Amino acid sequence: MASVNPAIDIDNTNEEPGTRAPLVLGGLDYAGVTETVCAPWEAENPPKIWWLILAAAVSLLLVLGGCVNHLLMKGVGVWGNNNPAYWGWPIVNFVFWVGIGHAGTLISAILFLFRQNWRTSINRAAEAMTIFAVVCAGLFPGVHIGRVWVFYWLFPIPTEHLAMWPNFRSPLLWDVFAVSTYATVSILFWYMGMVPDIATFRDRCKTKIGKLVYGVLSLGWTGSARNWHRYEIAYTILAALATPLVLSVHTIVSFDFAVSQLPGWHTTIFPPYFVAGAIFSGFAAVVTLLVPARAIYGLQNLITLRHLENMNKIIMATGMMVGTAYGIEFFIAWYSGVPNEQFAFINRAFGNFWWAYWIMVTCNVVIPQLFWFKWCRTTPWFMVIVCIFVNIGMWFERFVITITSLCRDFLPSSWAYFHPTGVDIMMLIGSFGLFTTLFLLFCRFLPVIAMAEVKGIMPHGDGHH
Amino acid sequence: MADKHDNDSKLVGLLAQFDDPDSLVSACNEARLAGYKSMDAYSPFPVHGIDPAIGIQRSLLPFLVFVVGFGACFVGLGMQYYTNAAEWSPIFPGYAFKISGKPIFSLPANIPVTFEVIVLSSAFATFLGMWGLNKLPMFSNPLHRISRFKRATNDKFFLMIETKDEKFNRSETESQLNQWGAVAIEECRQDLTDNQLPSWVRLVGLLGVFLLMLPPVMIFRNMGMTNRQPRLHVVPDMDWQHKEKTQVLSPVMENGEYLFADERAMRQPVDGAIPRGRLEIDSEMYRGLKKDYRPKSAASSIKTNAQFVSASLEDKKEAPAAEAEDVSMWLTKFPEGITVDQDFVERGQQRFNIYCSACHGYDANGNGLVNQKAMALGANGQAQWTAAKSLHDATVKDDSKNPLGRIFDTITNGRNTMGPYGSQIPVEDRWAIVAYVKALQQTGIKPLTAVVDEDAGGEDDKKSDADGGSDAEDKTS
Ligand code: HEC
Repeated sequence: MASVNPAIDIDNTNEEPGTRAPLVLGGLDYAGVTETVCAPWEAENPPKIWWLILAAAVSLLLVLGGCVNHLLMKGVGVWGNNNPAYWGWPIVNFVFWVGIGHAGTLISAILFLFRQNWRTSINRAAEAMTIFAVVCAGLFPGVHIGRVWVFYWLFPIPTEHLAMWPNFRSPLLWDVFAVSTYATVSILFWYMGMVPDIATFRDRCKTKIGKLVYGVLSLGWTGSARNWHRYEIAYTILAALATPLVLSVHTIVSFDFAVSQLPGWHTTIFPPYFVAGAIFSGFAAVVTLLVPARAIYGLQNLITLRHLENMNKIIMATGMMVGTAYGIEFFIAWYSGVPNEQFAFINRAFGNFWWAYWIMVTCNVVIPQLFWFKWCRTTPWFMVIVCIFVNIGMWFERFVITITSLCRDFLPSSWAYFHPTGVDIMMLIGSFGLFTTLFLLFCRFLPVIAMAEVKGIMPHGDGHH
Repeated sequence: MADKHDNDSKLVGLLAQFDDPDSLVSACNEARLAGYKSMDAYSPFPVHGIDPAIGIQRSLLPFLVFVVGFGACFVGLGMQYYTNAAEWSPIFPGYAFKISGKPIFSLPANIPVTFEVIVLSSAFATFLGMWGLNKLPMFSNPLHRISRFKRATNDKFFLMIETKDEKFNRSETESQLNQWGAVAIEECRQDLTDNQLPSWVRLVGLLGVFLLMLPPVMIFRNMGMTNRQPRLHVVPDMDWQHKEKTQVLSPVMENGEYLFADERAMRQPVDGAIPRGRLEIDSEMYRGLKKDYRPKSAASSIKTNAQFVSASLEDKKEAPAAEAEDVSMWLTKFPEGITVDQDFVERGQQRFNIYCSACHGYDANGNGLVNQKAMALGANGQAQWTAAKSLHDATVKDDSKNPLGRIFDTITNGRNTMGPYGSQIPVEDRWAIVAYVKALQQTGIKPLTAVVDEDAGGEDDKKSDADGGSDAEDKTS
């Protein structure tokens, strides 16, 4: 809409006592919201920058494809995984991406149950990000199983000639169930939430093929009050299901480590600490994506500074939780009196991977402290930098946990240093290509903001009766 | 009601437009109070307070989800129990993993998967249940034909009072709607002429179904046929390997000839090759032949210690039968390294009962079960059978004609119509059987213990016993 001026950020971060700061700015009415959200989709051509990023992302995606192909042809030996660190970068990348994939469901489910209305303008993009992150996460253990073509052995499918089943008492199998359930439920939740908005697209679409595609995807949605009634109940139930689910996923991912006996892994703090870390990194990823997206698409009136500030506050809070967990780990190692545990932690901080440990602490604990300053948490370009550091730190957290413990296990004769190979590095970078490509396509073809939900929290023009 | 029908379209209801949610809610309230039941409101977002206004009953969805989730709890647990703890089923049986002596089924370890199964099933129940109860997807809806209605997903609010409501009256309802603040009112008509699918859709659909049926038909057809080709493997799995198996024909070359002249795919070891651990240099122990024995004919392939030890397995097998019976070559005492004591003979008894008694009988009088049955069949002309010899037979028993080494050889390589047991019975056990056979021969059918007591002295005593055991021989013959 012409009235939208994307260049201006209106400061809505201060709340007058007794009133609620508005979540939709620029005097947008219902139609205004629709126009703003549909504008990028209705534009004849996406902006130049979109093409630029897409080109970069697709080239990285090709790199990833090449690496995966190389891996399948040659075997997992092309990675740096080797005795004693048989869990190398693939698992680090897996946990990293799954962690990022937590923010979406957290925003759409937990904040929904807590009636945090500000979630409405960011939840759609965050859910999309979740799904794409889970896709990237699933890739790594997926190709790590070696004989990828029999991946279905992971699931309890009866076989004609094997009479074998998965071992249901293994955390790795719990992981299969947790991550695939999470992916499925996230997709259901995302799609269901999107149907009313796809119906908006259907009703505005001008091309034949678009009408057909969006028509089918919107399932014939009319916005009938009877439909809305069941829809809202279903949404609440899904939110109530997704909330324990999202907590269970990273808990179970942490079980992969915690259920083993390895010093540095075998701790009960892992589940809450992993979940906090996941929220931390997930929100950082949302901010990193949404700040450029709102600038490119002129969504400043919907994704306002207040939204960003709220997320930054959560980042700071979870960052401090993670920091506390780092400290507690040391305390417990000392308090346990187990020499191997004590060694494992001293080795983390001062052993031959000391650099990774201190990168992690700097990025995750020190840098987010900047958000104590209001300027830092309300200046878009600056918060992106902080959030990128947070994600670097969170990648290193998984690296430190996985590699330092494996390289210094109980048997000193097998101690070794871990070296990633080129394929390791290219696959990590390539996975960003996959993620970005998917996200760009999402921005182009699907409603980036949950219009129906945003309209639902807008104040009515003429007040309540 | 008359004006609802005309030739090519049918009135479904009256659609009133409102510009904001609050006037929609108040209009709905009015309509309900006026007694309308078949009506629905349409809005771009769920409008607060609309449910009581048009009298929507609370949905059954939560109950449905609860039932599914509750059931999934048992399905999840049951699945894990079945696959990891129960092995009774004849089809796709479970497999009880034993891991570090932990219990086969323990609730804590099975909770994560149960939980995920519950969440997954409940989520699907919610998702599918919601669309099902909403009767969606439904792509044909007269509302979608009204251009004004396109704003129902944007910024406008609608109330439709349907013709099927008893109180519906075209003109009266319209004036009521106007009264309740409708901004615009429009008829919603269902097009009756247009309810047929275009004819090509059917054709394409039919063709599609036909094409879809082809693969399963082909698969089932092939499943019912025999085929000499190896199975089709989409992904090369380890259960099929590109190699020839034993007992099959040799691969055929392009010119139609067998790759291997003997037409077998299986290859024999190179001449003189000795498998690991089968050097068997000690001819007394492994072949029952005297150490210093030399075969008279150079062609003979019997190898003794005196000769080069490259005896291959085949060599040994052909040997003794081909040689004219030269009894002097057989060992007359047990080889070095074998001590005959009670344990050894008892071991021999046990092995004899397993391997030999079926034909020779427990007491070695040649009347085991197989023999009895075979003789009975033979009497009817239904079988050809050479009676298993009684081992108390004079020829078998006579040490000069049938020394220990020869009995050992009989067991190892068979004799006449008796088959070889060398491949089934380890060397020491064969010697133990020999000892037991000798013991049996002395006693006739007397119980073992009595003999062993006399034999406690070892082989020399036994031999003298054997010489003097003529009464036993009389008994059996
Ligand atoms: C499948 C039935 C069968 C089994 C089992 C069997 N034999 Fe025989 N055995 C025979 C037959 C038949 C003969 C008679 C062969 C002939 O003279 O044609 C025979 C003959 C013999 C002879 C006499 C050979 C000679 O010098 O003429 C001895 C000794 C003998 N068996 C020992 C054994 C011993 C020891 C075992 C157990 C390892 C055994 N047999 C298992 C069927 C069997």
